[in-house]
Amino acid sequence: MSTVTTSTRPVDAAPGRTAAARLQAWLPRLVLSPSIAISLFFVYGFMLWTFILSLTNSRMLPSYEFVGFAQYARLMENERWWVAATNLGIFGGLFVIICLGLGLLLAILLDQRIRQEGALRTIYLYPMALSFIVTGVVWKWLLNPGLGIQAMVRGWGFESFTFDWLIDPKMSVYTLVIAAVWQASGFVMALFLAGLRGIDDSIIKAAQLDGAGLPRIYWRVVIPCLRPVVFSAVMILSHIAIKSFDLVVALTGGGPGYSSDLPATFMYTHAFTRAQIGLGSASAMLMLGGVLAILIPYLYSELRSRKHG
Amino acid sequence: MTTARTKPLASTSNQAAIKEGRHAAFMNTAARRRLGLTVLGWTIAGVIFFPIFWMVLTGFKTEAAAIAEPSLIFSPTLESYTAVHGRADYFKFAMNSVVVAFGSTLLALLIAIPSAYSMAFLPTKRTKGTLLWMLSTKMLPPVGVLVPIYLLFRDVGLLDTRTGLIIVYTLMNLPIVVWMLYTFFKDLPKDILEAGRMDGASTLQEVLFLLLPLTLPGIASTGLLSVILSWNEAFWSLNLTSSNAAPLTAYIASFSSPEGLFWAKLSAASTMAIAPILVFGWLTQKQMVRGLTFGAVK
Repeated sequence: MSTVTTSTRPVDAAPGRTAAARLQAWLPRLVLSPSIAISLFFVYGFMLWTFILSLTNSRMLPSYEFVGFAQYARLMENERWWVAATNLGIFGGLFVIICLGLGLLLAILLDQRIRQEGALRTIYLYPMALSFIVTGVVWKWLLNPGLGIQAMVRGWGFESFTFDWLIDPKMSVYTLVIAAVWQASGFVMALFLAGLRGIDDSIIKAAQLDGAGLPRIYWRVVIPCLRPVVFSAVMILSHIAIKSFDLVVALTGGGPGYSSDLPATFMYTHAFTRAQIGLGSASAMLMLGGVLAILIPYLYSELRSRKHG
Repeated sequence: MTTARTKPLASTSNQAAIKEGRHAAFMNTAARRRLGLTVLGWTIAGVIFFPIFWMVLTGFKTEAAAIAEPSLIFSPTLESYTAVHGRADYFKFAMNSVVVAFGSTLLALLIAIPSAYSMAFLPTKRTKGTLLWMLSTKMLPPVGVLVPIYLLFRDVGLLDTRTGLIIVYTLMNLPIVVWMLYTFFKDLPKDILEAGRMDGASTLQEVLFLLLPLTLPGIASTGLLSVILSWNEAFWSLNLTSSNAAPLTAYIASFSSPEGLFWAKLSAASTMAIAPILVFGWLTQKQMVRGLTFGAVK
């Protein structure tokens, strides 16, 4: 790649015009540097700052009295933190897997060249264009046992129908999954549909000639081709799951009690409403560590296998 | 009645099949299958759209009707809308949303276009790595930087200002914007810019008169995505604003917590917040789909 670009740009190598050539060579770096500097400063600088705060006994205001890892020890003993961390695991895992499954099924459906595909695609994608706050409001209503789905189904005559996950501490975290899946599965569908359209027809024709049925073709031929799409979808979905904060605020408020807390809301509650900046920062750092531990290996294994494959 | 009507239809289709042979019979099942799938597709669309539809509907009900037995039959009223507007000035929040969403998008594009240009047309060995690294910063949870940004904003007086939100949203969207622009720029045939350079165009002219007009659809999709993301953002807007600069997301949230039982008003407020996106998105379907999928749909 790099040899091709240098050969098409002989100016770089011309020894006579050193000043211009040097500028040419440095230009991209100069132009890029603001974006990179901004990212570096804001991402790593601030994370470092958070880490430093997590080692202090800061309460309402940041103080720089260091207490070592005492805040982390406190966090480990905090039951609410464990609820929040477990919830992120449940929510993130289910959200990613269900979205991938539903998205793939919807994409296969739309790939059958059905009528008004464009309009359908837009409608499926609509929830993705909404704010999580709005999603939370909508589903808070639908999942409210006295108003939404439960009331509706009971109104049709099924008096014993119960769907009260929103007020059930054991199930409340699953209501987050429902709302988030509603929001994002159309998006995954669009990604998969683009991937399906990119697959060479001749591969499928060949499989058909070999006598493979449609389900078998999808399972053995088409889906393996979609691996890069799965990769980007997982990356974007886990990004959504990790930063989920607004959905919790709008849908369950972390409740009942703190049964549907996520680390983001835990951190917010402790740092801002309970004046525990040190503890909140420690939880942010642990969350960061967890994300890195799970995502980085996946990122690298995917990128490496792609380089070799 | 229905059985009587389907019977002749079925027999005529049989006759047609016999007349035109197996090919016609095959076409018939294929068409029927397609019809079935279309119906299925629209049913799913109905299910997906139902929550939005119901919210819009509830906004036009009275509070009493909103919590009564769910029903499609009611006398529509604008009561909730006027009440919502009376409680807190809707237009102030809407204006904040517009200014912040478009301001941050413009700023992000302004910073990102030169970056994407140099990445796409003057690549080095590290370009791919830099790009991946920029994207990877999006994977880090924003709570990790919330406290420092909050403290910094408080100290420099950016808390609860539009400028502050514009800065944060720009930073938030910058990696995605750079990356999307990069993919669009890369799709442009290199010869076109080469030709421009042969004619003596400077880099600036090349960008302004060749690159930007030619990749306008891509830039539009990118901008639209950035606007939508900023419009919908709630984590930062809830944490960094209180009253002056609060955008619509904070406005809805303010209706949600203390008076969560006023469903009609809450629905009216939410409807007003999403209506611009629903309408604008329908008008620019192609750009929206392309933007929301980060350019994956061409």
